[in-house]
Amino acid sequence: MRMLRAGRWITAIALVLLAGVYVRALGYTPVERSQGLAQKIFYLHVPAAIWAEMAMIFVGLASIFYLFLKDPRLDRFAEASAETGTIFAAIVLTTGPIWGKPIWGTWWSWDARLTLTLFLFLLYVGYLLLRGAVTDPAMRARYAAVLGICGMVLVPFVHLSVYLFRTLHPMPIVLKPSAPSLPASMLLTWLLSLGVFTLLYVGFVVQRYALSYLREQLEAVGEGELGHA
Amino acid sequence: MPDVPQNGGYMVAAYVVVAVILVGYTLSLYLRARRSLRA
Repeated sequence: MRMLRAGRWITAIALVLLAGVYVRALGYTPVERSQGLAQKIFYLHVPAAIWAEMAMIFVGLASIFYLFLKDPRLDRFAEASAETGTIFAAIVLTTGPIWGKPIWGTWWSWDARLTLTLFLFLLYVGYLLLRGAVTDPAMRARYAAVLGICGMVLVPFVHLSVYLFRTLHPMPIVLKPSAPSLPASMLLTWLLSLGVFTLLYVGFVVQRYALSYLREQLEAVGEGELGHA
Repeated sequence: MPDVPQNGGYMVAAYVVVAVILVGYTLSLYLRARRSLRA
């Protein structure tokens, strides 16, 4: 219960800070001349993309450790991270086309980066569906761990797809080996947004983890009562 | 100097969509937890 409350507080603080990022991005960050106001979608799209990928990496790492240690806390964390990653991937897949339409002239293109990002989202959905379909907890955790590791393997391909293939999607302008190609005011807004999305990830995962724990406790109590009957 | 493109509507749409998704998920977590606590 304490964990659930902590998660709620972290999320509430993150949402208030997100409102601050909105104000800074919309009111106090300069407009990019060639793309116009649509460029400001960058401050939400890219942090969400980073956390959609990071969440899957955490799912994969927790899954690897789960297969060795069989610690249910790792499985619970993987589930929480996967659900949160699904939300961030949904943000990427909605803001991306909204940004793409005025800049590229099309909502969607089946190029490598976009298709792999859609695949990542579908993997998240598949992971959650798998968890819902298997009733035995040990088997569910094992199957989900295997899928989680597959998802983690996909992430480098998503990130490097712009280097590996010819794509409509632009190259990274912040997360690249050389210095970010952004004016300082835009970079600061982006960094603030990334910080807020990090906090959102933590808040969501803590809440989701606590929810899984609560449900397991309820199931254990239910089974205990059935055993006594 | 070329004119800045007038595409503010797309920006507003994206910011609204993100807010709806994040607040919606926060609400979903809150309601699911409340249901579990009541059970």
